[in-house]
Amino acid sequence: MSKPTDLVQGTLDLLILKIVALEPMHGWAVAQRIRQMSRDVLQVGQSALYPALHKLEQQGWIESEWKVSEANRRIKYYSLTRAGRKALTAESANWERLSGAISAIVRTVQEA
Amino acid sequence: MARLRLLLRSVFRGVRADRELDEELQYHLESLIAEGVGRGLSRAEAVYAAKRAMGPITQNREKCREARGVNFLDELWRDLRYAGRSMRRSPGFSMLAVLVMALGIGANTAVFSVVNAVLLRPLPYHDPNRIVLLGTREIAQGPTDFQQVSIPNFHDWHDENSSFEAMAVYGSREVPVIAHGTAAYARGTEVSAEFFRAFAVEPVAGRSFVGKEAKQGGSRVAMISYSYWQDHFGGAANAVGQMLRVYDKSYTIAGVLPPGFGFPDKTDVWVSATMSVDDMKYRAAQNWLAVGRLKPNVPLKQAQAEMAAIGVRLAQHYPESNSGRTVAVIPILDRMVGNVRLTLYLLLGAVGLLLLIACANTATLLLGRAMARTREVAIRAALGASRGRIIRQLITENLVLSVVAGAAGLLIAYGGSRTLITLAPHGVPRLDEVGIDRWVLSFTLGISVLTSLLFGSFPALYASKLDLNEELKSAAKSTVSGGMTRMRGLLTVAEFALTVVLLSGAGLLMKSFVALQNVVLGFRPENVLVMRATVPVEMQAPAARKFFQNVLPRIARVPGILATGATMAPPGSIESCGAYFIGHMPAQFDVRSAPESVLSVVAPGTFAALGIPVEAGRDFSDSDTGGSPLVAIVNEALVRKAFGKKDPLGRTIFCLYDNFKPMTIVGVVGDVHQSGPAVEPASECYIPYLQHGFNGNALSIVARTSGDPKLLEQTLRRLAHETSPEVPVRFTTMEANLTGNVAAPRFRTVLFGIFAGLAVCLAMAGIYGVMACAVGQRTREIGVRMALGAGTGPVIRLILGQGLTLACIGLAIGVVAALAGARLLTSMLFHIKPGDPLVYLGVAGLAAVVATGASYLPARRASRIDPLTAIRHE
Repeated sequence: MSKPTDLVQGTLDLLILKIVALEPMHGWAVAQRIRQMSRDVLQVGQSALYPALHKLEQQGWIESEWKVSEANRRIKYYSLTRAGRKALTAESANWERLSGAISAIVRTVQEA
Repeated sequence: MARLRLLLRSVFRGVRADRELDEELQYHLESLIAEGVGRGLSRAEAVYAAKRAMGPITQNREKCREARGVNFLDELWRDLRYAGRSMRRSPGFSMLAVLVMALGIGANTAVFSVVNAVLLRPLPYHDPNRIVLLGTREIAQGPTDFQQVSIPNFHDWHDENSSFEAMAVYGSREVPVIAHGTAAYARGTEVSAEFFRAFAVEPVAGRSFVGKEAKQGGSRVAMISYSYWQDHFGGAANAVGQMLRVYDKSYTIAGVLPPGFGFPDKTDVWVSATMSVDDMKYRAAQNWLAVGRLKPNVPLKQAQAEMAAIGVRLAQHYPESNSGRTVAVIPILDRMVGNVRLTLYLLLGAVGLLLLIACANTATLLLGRAMARTREVAIRAALGASRGRIIRQLITENLVLSVVAGAAGLLIAYGGSRTLITLAPHGVPRLDEVGIDRWVLSFTLGISVLTSLLFGSFPALYASKLDLNEELKSAAKSTVSGGMTRMRGLLTVAEFALTVVLLSGAGLLMKSFVALQNVVLGFRPENVLVMRATVPVEMQAPAARKFFQNVLPRIARVPGILATGATMAPPGSIESCGAYFIGHMPAQFDVRSAPESVLSVVAPGTFAALGIPVEAGRDFSDSDTGGSPLVAIVNEALVRKAFGKKDPLGRTIFCLYDNFKPMTIVGVVGDVHQSGPAVEPASECYIPYLQHGFNGNALSIVARTSGDPKLLEQTLRRLAHETSPEVPVRFTTMEANLTGNVAAPRFRTVLFGIFAGLAVCLAMAGIYGVMACAVGQRTREIGVRMALGAGTGPVIRLILGQGLTLACIGLAIGVVAALAGARLLTSMLFHIKPGDPLVYLGVAGLAAVVATGASYLPARRASRIDPLTAIRHE
């Protein structure tokens, strides 16, 4: 199982931004969505998730709002800010470039 | 904006933020459980699995706080409270640490407050960086040579330059001033036209010199200082326009200068300069000082280059007076603090060493405490405090410690700087401005913070290397890591080495000072009253002669006075110096290469009053007057140089003084250290005051008394006043003069002594602390040794050996460092070399005694350990 600490530095932030961009979401849902979308490859524990969420909030890329659920529970929803959207675009492009580069190298090495 | 709101929330609503986080995590946990139940687990299994998956919550909470950028302030506040609590919990330790650091910080602040006032603070003039002093430099004398200037040369400097906005000459001396009918000494300065423009100073009352007044021979007006105005005129507005008499000339007060302006030497009265015919004529008559104000945007270097070029031209045009000479241009402050700078920086260095020692001392103390707190730190780490967080908390504690110490140090500095001022030698400028200003405060705060980082980094480093598991497991034992002991050992060695450096410096200065005190002065300074009297007439007036002729016999008749005389310059100062020739005056001579001697105008009886032995011939007598053949008395140094083994009595000598007439040598007297004990006696020629008018109006009457000379002051003052109420007098004693002569070395010696003494105390405490701690750690081992038959002796030797080893390493390093550093002292040492072996032997001896003493107590305690208790110990 791939632990979150094995994620390339900063990629967790990118994942969170990407997922929160879809719709406002609480922490648990973010973790679940990451797991589903990565087909169980990536599992993010709370010890990495919440510090990351709080850091992104502090940076002003996401904002939070308390909502009350159907079961009458207070739940904290995170959503992307305008700055966060810009950051997401930049980070995504960055990731494409980086992962493309890494893949290119890895493939070349395999073919050799 | 959002970020700010969040940060504010973090700070002010930290509790609520934490609660919200808990709520969020709780929801996460519940969702996990629900998911588990959904997968078909039992409720209990699901809870267990969820909790495992969640991991440690408290650590994570801490991480989230950090991620929120929390609460740096919040944490700081908590750390501060915690630091306060832990200081209160161990008051003994805290007091000791604060005291040690307060001493170090206080001593540094005190010295810095003096350095700040004397060297660093800008002079209280408008744009002081543009004010420079100008002088003649004899190129052969090196780059620091700075002599006065002659009027013809000054005129050329003034007219040919394009760098200066204003340039003026001035000359300052103590003058008799009569204001409201009372005669008193005041500092009088003659200035040329542009003097006040050079300082850009405007009078606060009245006006400055105008037009012809500023020129030579203009109507006589004077400017007075603000303090003179307050003291003698009560600050009255009508002071302007009143009359002042300086010597025998009356001046109208034209204006009052602003408070704080008293250049040079706290001048009271400024008058426009009157130059003698000789002054105007001779380029070699270097009798004046010069000051100038640079034009805006003219850098010093440019002005120096231009003036040097003018100097070259003058040397080409007037080689007989100007060859080998150039123009020196230096910032005014540099000149004012010239001799003091080195001493003050040296003291700052010494007191800095003391601070380092105090830091080392506190660091060992803190390390000792850090060991005791190992378990506390481990628990905090286990509860989720990160390494950085723990270090930050320790640093905060140290910061609190050193800020408290800094505050206490300020109090010490306040008293200390007063002491420094009283001890300081005469002639240190701006000492009265010493005080605690914002620069001093910033300095104190700065070194407080800096030192807390210095002494605090060791324990913090130690704490950050703790192995959590090891510490928690070993918490029951009180073993201490080897690294820790090594670190304390190293600090002790460093502390000891620094102490040895300070001790060596103090030892060198002390030995040099003792040598200075043991110099045979050539006269007997005890019980000699000195009364300076200036007859307010121009130089050669018979009235001056008459005053001294009348007053001297009256003083001689006072009961309790054994002998009286009068001299132009009592030993310790030189008034005049000039070329002399034996036998005949050469038709052609070069004044600069002719033999030189000190010249002193004296009254009969002076040698007896000062206790200078007459070795051959006779003293002057009352019959050596203007009408009788001219006579002179020379000292043995002059005889050795000019006559060798031949008899000087009856030979003829010419001195370039007020006349070049031949004088017959009628006596030889012993040598006197004319410039204080540090300077070898120079050749000297004495001439009788009744045969020489020049300077005959200002003499110091010297009277040898049978008891305390101060007791006769009132009597002599009355006699002088009865003889002439217009003659101001001032009293001192030869012993006081002598003390003044050696004030600078005494200042350095006393302060180095104090610093070294404090350093020794700190070093002693340091070694004691380390050894006591070592004994505590080795109790069990020592118990075992004793149980196996080791006697008291070997145990004492074991502990003493450990302490002395540290001391020896420190001593060796310290001596090497001291030998290297002592070269800085070379110029301040009298008759001893910076490598004086006796001093270093003494230091080593003292260090050995200190180290043994400090290690002996713990060693004895070790030898009294009861083996049974020791083995059960722990």
